[in-house]
Amino acid sequence: MKIDNSLPLEYSTEENSLKILGFWIFLGAEIMLFATLFATYFTLENRTGSGPTGAEIFQITPVLFETIILLTSSFTVGLGIHAMRIGKQKAMVTFFSITLLLGLAFLGVEIFEFVTYVHEGAGIQTSAFTSALLTTLGTHGAHVTLGFFWGLFIILQIKKRGLTPQTTNKAFIFSLYWHFLDVVWIFIFSFIYLKGMM
Amino acid sequence: MSQLFPMKQVLGFVFSLLLTTVALAVYFLDMSFAAGMTILLVTAFIQAGLQLVVFMHAGETKDKSAIYTNVFYGLIIALVTVFGTLLAMVWDM
Amino acid sequence: MDFFDRFAVPHPSLAIYASMAAIGLTIIAVIAGLTYFKKWGYLWREWLTTVDHKRIGIMYLLSALLMLFRGGVDAIMMRAQLAVPENTLLDAQHYNEIFTTHGIVMILFMAMPFIMFFMNFVVPLQIGARDVAFPRLNALSFWLFFMGAMLFNISFVVGGSPDAGWTSYFPLAGTEFSESVGNNYYMIAIQIAGIGTLMTGINFITTILKMRAPGMTLMKMPMFTWSALIANVIIVFAFPVLAVLLAMGTLDRQFGTNFFTMDNGGMDMLWANIFWVWGHPEVYILILPAFGIYSEVISTFARRNLYGYKSMVGSMVIISLLSFLVWAHHFFTMGQGAFTNSIFSITTMAIAVPTGVKIFNWLLTLRKGKIVFTTPMLYSMLFIPLFTLGGVTGVMLAMSAADYQYHNTMFLVAHFHNVIIPGVVYAMLAGLHYYWPKMFGFMLNEKIGKWTAWLLSIGFILAFMPMYVSGLDGQARRMYTYSEAAGFGLMNMISFVGAAIMAIGFVLIVYNIYYSTRYESRDISNDPWDARTLEWSTHTPVPEYNFAILPDVRSNEALWDAKKNGHVLFKGEYQKIHMPNNSGIPFIMSCIFFVWGFSFVFSLWIPVILTTIGIFVCMALRSFEQDHGRYISVKEIEETETNLRGA
Repeated sequence: MKIDNSLPLEYSTEENSLKILGFWIFLGAEIMLFATLFATYFTLENRTGSGPTGAEIFQITPVLFETIILLTSSFTVGLGIHAMRIGKQKAMVTFFSITLLLGLAFLGVEIFEFVTYVHEGAGIQTSAFTSALLTTLGTHGAHVTLGFFWGLFIILQIKKRGLTPQTTNKAFIFSLYWHFLDVVWIFIFSFIYLKGMM
Repeated sequence: MSQLFPMKQVLGFVFSLLLTTVALAVYFLDMSFAAGMTILLVTAFIQAGLQLVVFMHAGETKDKSAIYTNVFYGLIIALVTVFGTLLAMVWDM
Repeated sequence: MDFFDRFAVPHPSLAIYASMAAIGLTIIAVIAGLTYFKKWGYLWREWLTTVDHKRIGIMYLLSALLMLFRGGVDAIMMRAQLAVPENTLLDAQHYNEIFTTHGIVMILFMAMPFIMFFMNFVVPLQIGARDVAFPRLNALSFWLFFMGAMLFNISFVVGGSPDAGWTSYFPLAGTEFSESVGNNYYMIAIQIAGIGTLMTGINFITTILKMRAPGMTLMKMPMFTWSALIANVIIVFAFPVLAVLLAMGTLDRQFGTNFFTMDNGGMDMLWANIFWVWGHPEVYILILPAFGIYSEVISTFARRNLYGYKSMVGSMVIISLLSFLVWAHHFFTMGQGAFTNSIFSITTMAIAVPTGVKIFNWLLTLRKGKIVFTTPMLYSMLFIPLFTLGGVTGVMLAMSAADYQYHNTMFLVAHFHNVIIPGVVYAMLAGLHYYWPKMFGFMLNEKIGKWTAWLLSIGFILAFMPMYVSGLDGQARRMYTYSEAAGFGLMNMISFVGAAIMAIGFVLIVYNIYYSTRYESRDISNDPWDARTLEWSTHTPVPEYNFAILPDVRSNEALWDAKKNGHVLFKGEYQKIHMPNNSGIPFIMSCIFFVWGFSFVFSLWIPVILTTIGIFVCMALRSFEQDHGRYISVKEIEETETNLRGA
């Protein structure tokens, strides 16, 4: 395997740069996945049937918590990649662990939010609006959950094998995924919550 | 310690918090729907661009044109899908 | 017994029991055969675990041919039912099931794997690569597609087929009007196959962008590779839409949500809308690689370089964008205003322009060419006039005001078969004849091949031209019968005769494969057609590593350059070659997916949970596994090369 030392470790083999580009293309597909969910949500937004409207169930506090938690986690995963590039394995693992803990906190708030909705009579079966809302939020939440386990596996591998072309490559790709989830959340925050409460 | 917190990323983070605060204005201030949507669209897309360039390092390798083409292509089609759907299903129904 | 009742077919008939018996006997025969000839190990080592793009390609081909016959039987049953007025060969329910499965099988499980076969087999060879970017992902793509297809196909003997049309519009496809599990099969089986397709898209874009031979810039890629690149771009952006749509359909049917229902705010029209956001790009995913194959074939057998290379590329790029801008033309009559219809009407007509550019480019390639009428060329020559006819009726349908007359009639059915059969199916058959020697080391018989092409074309014209007439006369599609007074009898009888002739054509293809396997000469060169691109520069059969030395490319017709201008393709010494290891995980994971899908269809939640865990365990294993591939030594390469050159 040829290793090119002029590039950061995660790009250093040909296979590595293939994987990074491949993952970017996957993110392109993810854009369309969430775009379809948004298109559905916007179409069904006002079709609440006999159920509550968005303005009636959205609350700013948990949403604000979720946003700040996720923005911070996106920042820390970025710091983790920076630490990885300057070869500081310990700092990197710390930043990644903080990221995953923030991810857990986000999921905790989101679960609390879902439970509240169901208590207020806005379950997934209530109306077209709640179906679209909870499916969109749930898809994002499922991505975060998957990301949590993925990140955990990467931390374990880095602890075991150190910073190799393979592990750094995985960590970098994971960071792309995590930032992307943050971007998706920004759109959810702006166009589902804030627009709904405006 | 300071080398673990590069200026670019810290500033990026501060800026993203700032954008969030601006977006919150639509909740706390009373404004028209059009004004609110404009603020949200501007802040959300700047925020997305920020993540893309500062945190995701989209432009750092020779694959940069492929990556940007991919993202913009996805974005254009995403917007067409969302607005086309709204046009056919809601606005002109 | 209650537990097993759910697996019974709701509308059994003699035909279905016969199919059950046939499927059972085939499975027993396959298992017995493999055991008797002691081929289990061979099957596992050489095929089920392979990550070689050429073998995966061949497996796609076998699946596509198998599905062609399943879809073809559906088609001939439909035509037989409609051949005479008030026919009672099939009842309404069976007719519904058959036109539904015919559509799905032909588009998603026949045409899609057929183009996947070409992309897998041809693209890496054409760009001078040793494999695709992610060989193991490629195997997973194939097995997911295969398991999805099999899950869909068992529906008609276990639990009942989907019966709401290949578009599966709500509310008809909802639980209110379709109680049986048939439409669950639709949602789940296509979902599984669709995930596989999406991964293929990512894989091939990366391959084409990053793994081209030295010197092959984007504008020096052969036209088929370009068409594959563009088709995969469309796949990557269109298939997530389908995934979300099917997930929402599943939620509606099995979890009581209200996306497409008739009450609580649900909107049935949204299904049609999102379906076509995916569905229209999907037809371009099929047709663009077909155009790529015609470009290769026409340029090879006109003995000329392709006319207007840049305009070909440009028109494909434009098509890829426009294909996402036209979807509402599938439901002009659904009730949106004239403004929306006008926009989509104009974008639809606009897409005919780049397609027309391509037709002219092919015609101008033929001009002053020394045309050789081989079977692939014959298909291409039949394609141009027949496809143009289909394209022109497409422009008729694009006019939203006039569409109120054509919508949902046999006119539409005639139109899309008129573009898909000469456009896609002929390309697949042309490509099959063209690439057969590269795959198997002998040619398909030319005489039988040409007979087939003519029979298919005559059958095609007889089968589909009358539908334009009866459609304009008002015959609606998807009606299982009609009265004698309607006067559609003659046209439908002609259609039936045409369909029967086409069936003979397809049987002839199988006979040709059998005949050629037995009698055709094995003594053929690496380049039997005197072709122009890199796939013909390596040995036949293609060695595992494709090229012992990676070719050095100067133009979009690298081999032609080498043959006519004395350009040296292979420079330098042998070096050891890095190859990926075989893996059983893609196959095993896809088998788990099959069980997952089957349990999901019948809402058996405990196996669903267990298999979901199984799928994630496979992914985790993959994550922790360290597999750096293996090396083929210089000595091995030398031996292989000497053997192949000697042979």
